[in-house]
Amino acid sequence: MRSYRPRIAITLAVTAGLFFHGSLQAEPEAQPAGVEPLLASCAGCHIPDGEGALSRIRDQRKTAEGWEMTINRMRLIHGLKLSGQEIAIARSSMRDLVKHLADTQGLAPAESEPYRYLLEQDLNRVEDFDPELAIMCGRCHSSARFALQRRTEDEWAKLVHFHLGQYPSTEYSLYGRDRDWLGQALNETVPALAEQYPLDSQAWSEWQATPKPKLDGRWILAGHMAGRGDLHAVMSVESTKPDFYTLELSGQFRDGEAISGTGKAVVYTGYDWRAQLRLGDVSMRQVLAADASGDTLTGRMHVRGQELQGVRLKLVRADAKPQIIAVSPTHIRRGSTQLMVISGTGLSGDISLPAGLSVEEVVERDDNRVAVKVSAAADAAIGRGTVSIGSAARGEAVAVYDKVDSVAVEPAFAIARVGGNGGSTPKVNAAFRAVGVDFGEDKTAGTEDDITLGYLDEVTWQVEPWDEVAKEAEDVRFAGQMDQRRGIFEPAAAGPNPERRHSTNNAGNLQVVASVEQDGASVSGTGQLIVTVQRWNNPPLK
Amino acid sequence: MKHLKAVNKKAQQLAEAAEQGQADEVVAMQTVVGCAATTDPGWEVDMFGTVAGLCQPMEADLYGCSDPCWWPAQVPDTMNTYPDWTKEADSAAKDWRNLDSVYPDEEE
Repeated sequence: MRSYRPRIAITLAVTAGLFFHGSLQAEPEAQPAGVEPLLASCAGCHIPDGEGALSRIRDQRKTAEGWEMTINRMRLIHGLKLSGQEIAIARSSMRDLVKHLADTQGLAPAESEPYRYLLEQDLNRVEDFDPELAIMCGRCHSSARFALQRRTEDEWAKLVHFHLGQYPSTEYSLYGRDRDWLGQALNETVPALAEQYPLDSQAWSEWQATPKPKLDGRWILAGHMAGRGDLHAVMSVESTKPDFYTLELSGQFRDGEAISGTGKAVVYTGYDWRAQLRLGDVSMRQVLAADASGDTLTGRMHVRGQELQGVRLKLVRADAKPQIIAVSPTHIRRGSTQLMVISGTGLSGDISLPAGLSVEEVVERDDNRVAVKVSAAADAAIGRGTVSIGSAARGEAVAVYDKVDSVAVEPAFAIARVGGNGGSTPKVNAAFRAVGVDFGEDKTAGTEDDITLGYLDEVTWQVEPWDEVAKEAEDVRFAGQMDQRRGIFEPAAAGPNPERRHSTNNAGNLQVVASVEQDGASVSGTGQLIVTVQRWNNPPLK
Repeated sequence: MKHLKAVNKKAQQLAEAAEQGQADEVVAMQTVVGCAATTDPGWEVDMFGTVAGLCQPMEADLYGCSDPCWWPAQVPDTMNTYPDWTKEADSAAKDWRNLDSVYPDEEE
């Protein structure tokens, strides 16, 4: 298995099989997918049936990342060799295989949609699953990891046997030893999985028969990037061959800072977009899903290597019918003046704002971006209202508010991981945002007239001990640093720390505090941040 | 806990929690995506949702995780899947920098 180790890793003191993810990103030189690489690479073990479908493989469907993990497991455990020893060739074969399998045995858009957070690496969130499946399967890895697969009942049973054979602790670790794990897995879990995630589905049959959209063209995107703020950009997409694209992105944050760069993308299963871009000196990745008509792309873009720092996106075609996709910011205080950026398509015509708001100055405008200086009257009615430009309108697009009465930290619970310090695992930062609420005319929390203001810009961030234990252990001192302005927490170095009791790691249990200054007073919200140890097993689907 | 006596602070904490019925208030299934909910004692968080009950430092018992395949989704198991993972690191506490990530991100 060591023969697959890429040359770039030779300097590392590596002693185990080493596989790289990220090979799902597009490479212009990659060959179009076909069945030949599958037969050449897999038919040595997997037996073709009468129609040429290979045993085991034919009974499963997965995302591109799922197939990549499967193939890597074949390389690791069963000694699969892909087109020789050279890693560049092997990666090319991997791409061909993954592309072919994801295209022909992937998930329909409706099947992947509920679990796309895992593909998007949007990981600081709590999953909501059937408790039995969560305990039986989702206690070691995410539940989305199995929910992004489809298998026959027999294949789900084989997966159970594989787990027990490969990872025997399944049966005697917590939530294994308190039950007849194998009996429950085979008699209850397998039928449940086969029913909820079956190989054959109407959604997949229909998607296979659906013409797949071409995604060339100019796209408009807007969203709020953690640690940076609201972003508007234009992305030009050009096809190099079916399912492969080159990208040019150009845009700016609301404060005017420009962002631009180029990249490339590949589309799996006719809709599942993976791109890598270089924007300035930052590498970014996009995980998006196209709709069947090819009119929208939705998903997330994140910093490569810092997956929690990202922006949720919806992209629309620049020449689409008039529509507003984002208004930034989503709130304006009575009696204030501020820059407002409206993103969308066909943005020509008169600008109309909720009562009490007026345009002081049009700073910039074209069909996709309108930047205006807006003032709110001191007696403007509070509440959310519609923004429109010509025939494009967006309801409840902006909130006029009186006061930020409360602040909520998002995510309310997050994990960061120590890293670096000469080890093989980088630090995993945590990224926070603050959402404001005005309690409305009644100034009472939790009533119908509460107004959610969206993400706040001027926030001061800090961390405090979560409890007495954390205070005594000086977690705040040791666990890392919170960027007071950006809400990005960078954990401390990996490894035992001789300065701490028992030389323990720089782990910590912290309270994250977001504060907003207003009229000489401070309004705060809190969340919890666990700074914990690194993980050495980092597949694309965790 | 009738036949066991807590001899250190961590064990006392657990005994008190058990007596107060808190041990059943499992936060295990409330960790975030991809974290282990198998909290005996836990990889990312302990059974109380904190880090105080984890092995301290983690390296002190790391091979007690990798050898018996504990938390195989986070720690490469040397029992079956990555038998040579610790080959260049006889002492986890001293040699942890030699432990490689078994599925690192691809270079661009």
